[in-house]
Amino acid sequence: MSYTFQFGVVAQYQDEILTGIWLTIKLSVLSIILGSAAGVVLASMRSIQGGTVRFLVDAYVEIIRNTPFLVQLFIVYFGLPGLGLRVGADTAALIGMTINLAAYSTEIIRAGIEAVHKPQIEAGEALGFTRFQIYRHVVIVPAIAKVYPALCSQFVLMMLASSICSAISTHELAASAAFVESQTYRSFEIYIVVTLIYLALALALRAGLALVGMWLFGRRVARQAMTVLPEVPA
Amino acid sequence: MKISNFMRAAVTAIGIGVASLASIADAGAAALNDIISRGTVRIGVLTGAPPMGMVDEKGNPTGYDVDVANLIAGYLSLPVELVPLTPPARIPALQTGKVDFLVATLAPTGERAKTVMFTQPYSAFNMDIISGPDQKFASLADLAGKRVAVNRGSSQETALRKAAVPGLEIVVFEDDSTSAQALIAGQADAVALPSTVGEAIIKQRPDAGLQVGFTFFQQGNSMATKLEDFELRQWLNTAIYLMKISGDLDKVAMKWTGRPMPTLPSF
Repeated sequence: MSYTFQFGVVAQYQDEILTGIWLTIKLSVLSIILGSAAGVVLASMRSIQGGTVRFLVDAYVEIIRNTPFLVQLFIVYFGLPGLGLRVGADTAALIGMTINLAAYSTEIIRAGIEAVHKPQIEAGEALGFTRFQIYRHVVIVPAIAKVYPALCSQFVLMMLASSICSAISTHELAASAAFVESQTYRSFEIYIVVTLIYLALALALRAGLALVGMWLFGRRVARQAMTVLPEVPA
Repeated sequence: MKISNFMRAAVTAIGIGVASLASIADAGAAALNDIISRGTVRIGVLTGAPPMGMVDEKGNPTGYDVDVANLIAGYLSLPVELVPLTPPARIPALQTGKVDFLVATLAPTGERAKTVMFTQPYSAFNMDIISGPDQKFASLADLAGKRVAVNRGSSQETALRKAAVPGLEIVVFEDDSTSAQALIAGQADAVALPSTVGEAIIKQRPDAGLQVGFTFFQQGNSMATKLEDFELRQWLNTAIYLMKISGDLDKVAMKWTGRPMPTLPSF
């Protein structure tokens, strides 16, 4: 097979690709912040409240985790206008990604909360901590520290899954790639370039998350977040 | 004497050169023989764009392209393996050898002709601008400031970008049905669709109140081969000619679009 690679053609569309990269970064960072915040709130609510709240949170988590991301995006973009709620493609992508990531974060943080040993809570009570202090210092922060590597993996997966948003006309990196491909028919070249960009973005995101982890939980947790396969927390 | 010796040497050199070029050309352009010796032909057909290409209730490919592909396989006297392709996957599938050639409602464009080789047209349709019940468009100028949905990499996308209507926003989706869905959901003001596809969607969703605005160009569709497969292209052109004079192509056009095939210039 004699295929002549022509990366110069792709280089002409530099601005187009940079626009795509920028939207992918914006969508990923915002959905990670919003999704993980929602995850902390929902996981706390279900562990504190129980009953109906727990049932509703679990139902949400299971519905999102057991349906395809693409279908969720279609429902936000094509379905909500039927209910009179019309959002643009970028907003729809952000909503879809946040809803999806919130469900996964809730599930991961729930596992962390359930892994907190009861005697530790009792120790907190014995030391005269208030309920809020116990929840903050003994339960939620150590819980998130334990599952931080798993959360980071999920964040990176979400960043990569943002490529699916091109299906609802969100003009992120995958859409830029498809546009350049449809203009030049240089599929190999553009997808090689875009694969490398996604790889670089994923590694940069991991490094960034490791720094955040170091700031929040100290060096050991951050190191685990950097490894590709999270170690089992000690 | 000296001169004739030189001439003889030159002629021999040219002869060797031509022979080696011919053998290189042979190595690149043996697709027709390859197909016949393999014993089956793999044809890429369009999917997700009724009535040109879609799947039936049993999940098998069906539509205009499938009927033409089966006719072609009949002319080749070979069993056919149909490979359904979404619009953006058509040219890459051909380039990577997943299919021998395309019968996939692919419109010839100058840009595409740099990467694949086109036959003469085997089908044609009008490209329409379709809008919702609240507004109707009569010309390209009416589309200023509007959002028009198109299918990625399609000839309607190219045509709309070339028209460069000021303020027109082109919204890109993966296929015709998603583009139409964007109009129905109110995410776009209009959609650019082949008339065949547009009529099918208007019939399927009478509640959406979709209406045809205007035809902005007529599109002929060609089969496509790899850039070096001259023999195969010539064979396909011959088969298309035969299907035109036998009336087979008109029958397929009547079956799927309700009218005979429009006459288009050939090349």
